[in-house]
Parts: sequence; structure tokens; C-alpha cells
Amino acid sequence: MGNGRNGRLLSLYIQRSFLEWMGFRSFLFTLVVNQAVAPVLGLAVWSAALPEQRGVSAYFIALLAVQLMTVSYEYHTVSMAIYEGNLNDSLLRPHPMVIAPLGENLATRAWHLLIGFPIVAIAMTAAGVGFDGWDIVVALPALAFAALLRFLFTYALALSALWGQQSGGVTELGSILVFLLGGLAAPIPLMPESIRPIGEALPFRAMLGFPAEIATGSLNRQEIVQGYGWQALWMAVFAAVATVVWTAGVRRYTALGG
Amino acid sequence: MTLVHVFTVVFSMSLRRSLAFRMNLLFEGLATFLGAGAGLAALGIVYTQADTLGGWSLGEAIVLLGTYQIVSGLLWTFIEPNLRWFRGQVVDGALDDILLRPVPSIFLASLGTCAPLGLLHVVGGVVVLTIGIGRLDAAPTLGSAMAWLLMLGVALAVAWASRVLLASLAFWAPSLEPGVLYSAVWEFGRYPVSMYRPPLRFALTWMIPVSLIGTLPAQALARGAEPVHLVAGPVGAAAAILLVNVVWRAGLRRYTSATS
Repeated sequence: MGNGRNGRLLSLYIQRSFLEWMGFRSFLFTLVVNQAVAPVLGLAVWSAALPEQRGVSAYFIALLAVQLMTVSYEYHTVSMAIYEGNLNDSLLRPHPMVIAPLGENLATRAWHLLIGFPIVAIAMTAAGVGFDGWDIVVALPALAFAALLRFLFTYALALSALWGQQSGGVTELGSILVFLLGGLAAPIPLMPESIRPIGEALPFRAMLGFPAEIATGSLNRQEIVQGYGWQALWMAVFAAVATVVWTAGVRRYTALGG
Repeated sequence: MTLVHVFTVVFSMSLRRSLAFRMNLLFEGLATFLGAGAGLAALGIVYTQADTLGGWSLGEAIVLLGTYQIVSGLLWTFIEPNLRWFRGQVVDGALDDILLRPVPSIFLASLGTCAPLGLLHVVGGVVVLTIGIGRLDAAPTLGSAMAWLLMLGVALAVAWASRVLLASLAFWAPSLEPGVLYSAVWEFGRYPVSMYRPPLRFALTWMIPVSLIGTLPAQALARGAEPVHLVAGPVGAAAAILLVNVVWRAGLRRYTSATS
């Protein structure tokens, strides 16, 4: 009963946020371009470094799509709400606080996908890259898990504002780790052998690079199963972390106004 | 009251404001150094797969990255915090406040506040640059170092002018938010321009002078400066500053306050 109600509320938050964003389409376009830069740069760098390997181009184009569909701005929504005291409003509503930022997150991602799809299509055409339909089907659950995992990670980091008021430094630190170890700086399979197993096990690849690796057909069945295992583990860990951080942090929260 | 004094006071106030959030300061510091390290690591991983990138060796590419991080750090410290939300100031009339003060408006609008923590990026950039110099085949000469400094000054002047020029668009097209796009294009400066495919390379050299940020200063330090760059660079920077002043004044003539 409670879950059904929360589900309906989530759906309403998604609709509301989606419609609100409609008034800021030009700003959304700039956000999408900004999110696309790192994968496009990766594509340029790695295509120049390994011009014969077409798989690298396919990987970064898949990564571009994953990046747009997993983007998380909880620093600007949750963290700033805490800093400015606007969390008061959320605390008074008779539903779990996480529903509103999750709804905003999903609506924002929908817009990123809508606006970013032509960019992905242009990149595919320019690089002469295509994907196997079955690989895409196998990658879809990994993409959904990556999206959830990245939300939980960013949400937990944004909640650190309950202690220090501002969480810009913490969330930036998280973004750098995702860039370096998530497969944006370099595809994990191309990392030196000494650090590759660490990159595969850490949560950052599960948030970004793993679905792109599946989509390009570069993983065998065992590697895919192992990757899904890591995703499941990290989702459980970050869900627990986010819950603990929220429960402990909200007791410290004080605000004037809002 | 001189502009230098105003600048010093602004920096002091901004620093005190940043120090109020000590936990954030700690993580900002960590993030800055990790960011510098991440850039270096990313470059190192690329060079495990290739000997050169656009004709640049690893040492040269690290010099470029360090130079890029220094210029970026100065941009994020002194220019970006002022112009990031400039469009909003034009739209809601908050620019009035700047126009009423007895200091040149272009100075206050573009350098009126700062984010001192951004200087940590400069420190990180200097460390990366030092590592890059250590990996060059031959140590840079004094002349190369002087040429690098000159080109760094050119890069900063062009960065300021191009950012103000872009912000000035708000006087004519207040619905545009070009700041995010500027940051996106700026990212292309962290690698040698010669690495990109011809159409993009042409655009980054002649249309959006991203090559000035890192490639040309790094080239001057690592390979010696080309005389044409040493002459054309300062002339171009002076022309950019002149142009931006003209555009700013034209923009102000279009500005109509939105407040009472």
C-alpha cells in the first residue's frame, strides 16, 4: 500500500519536474553539451592514440549514452536545499524525502536522453560505429543499475552538507573518482594490468563503464555475470550508506527560513 | 582607491568567506590535488598504449597539461565566479549595483569577486608542470621559459577577453546561457590541438582560440618559441582586450535597468 502510494508520488514528481524543465530547454541543452564533453574528449584522445581500434570509438560513444542516462545533479538539488534551508519544505511532506530528488533526477535524465540522442547519433555516424542488438539488450539492466547506483552515490555525498553546510568539495571528489576509475579517463580493459582488477571491483566502473563495455560486446559471459555481481553489491552498500547518512544527518539539521 | 587595492580587498573578503566552511575547504583541497593527479594518470594511461599523441611526447603533453591547469585555475579563481551568472544580473537589473560604483564597470563585473580555493588548481598545475619539465628530453632554456611566461600572459588575457565577450552576449540575447558551453569548449585545451581531426583542429585554433590556453605556451617551453607566436600572441591579446572594451560599452548602452 505504502509502496504503491510512493510509486504514484514518484511518478507525479517526475511529471512535474519534466514539465518544469520544459521552460529551460536552452539551459538543458548546455547541460547536455557539458556532460557530453568528457566522453567526446575520450573519443578524440583514444582514437588518436589507437587509430586502428574501432572498438575504442564504439566504447566512448556507448559511454556518452550511459553518461547522459546516469547523470546526477544532487549537489544542486539536495545539497543546495540543505544549505539554503529549503529542506524544511521537504521534511514537512508526508513521504520519504528521497522521492522528490529521485523524481527530479529521473526527469532530468529523460531530458538529457531526449536532447542528447541526436549527439549520440551524430557521433555514431561520424565514427562509422554500430552496435549489436543483443549486446544492447544485455546492457540495458546494467544501465538501469548504473543509473540507480550513481544516484545513490551522489545523493549520499550531497547529504554530507548536513554536517558541513556545503558539499561542493565532497561531490567534486566523487566526480573525479568516477572520471578516473569509471572508464571515462580510460576504458578499464585498457588500464595497466596491475590496477585493472581494482578498477573492475570498485563501484565507479559499475556506475559508468560497465554498461558501455557490454554494449560494445567486449565482455564474455563470465565477465558480464561478475560485473552484475559487483553492481548488486555496490547498490546494497550505497543504499545502506545513504540511509545511515540521512538518518544521522537529519538529526543535526537546523535551518532558519527556507 | 586604485584597482590593485580594490582587487586585494576583494581577494581578502572572498578568502574569509571560503574559510567559513572548513570541511568543504578540506574536501575542495583534496579534490583539487586528486583532480591534478587524475589528469596526469589519464595521460599516463594513454601513453602506455601510444608513443605520441598528435606528435607530442609524454613529457611535452604533461607540460601542456600543467600549463592548462595553471590557466584554468586562474580562470576559475578570478574570472568565472563573476561571470557565471552574469546573464541573471542583466535580466533582473542587479547590474545597476555595479554601474553605480566608482570603479570601471568591466573590472567590477568580471573581477569583482573571486574564489580563492581555485588557486589550489594553480598549485596543482605547477606541480604537474614541474613533473613534465623533468620528463622532457632537454631542459628548457631561459629564453624558452621567458617565452612560456609571455604566452601564459597572452593566454590569460585572451581567456579573460573571450569570457567577458561571451558574457556580454547577455546584453543582446538575454535568454542564452553561454557559460556552460564555454566551460565545455575550454576542456579541449588540455590536450595538444594537433591531436584533433582537421575541422575541429581548425576551429580550436582560429575560431575559438583554445590552442592559446595550453598548446602554444607549452610548445614555447618544450620546443622553443616560434618568433611569429611571440609577436602575434601579444598583438592578438591587445586586440582582444580592445575589442571586449568596445563590445562592453556597446552592451551597456543597450542595458535598461529592470529594478526601481
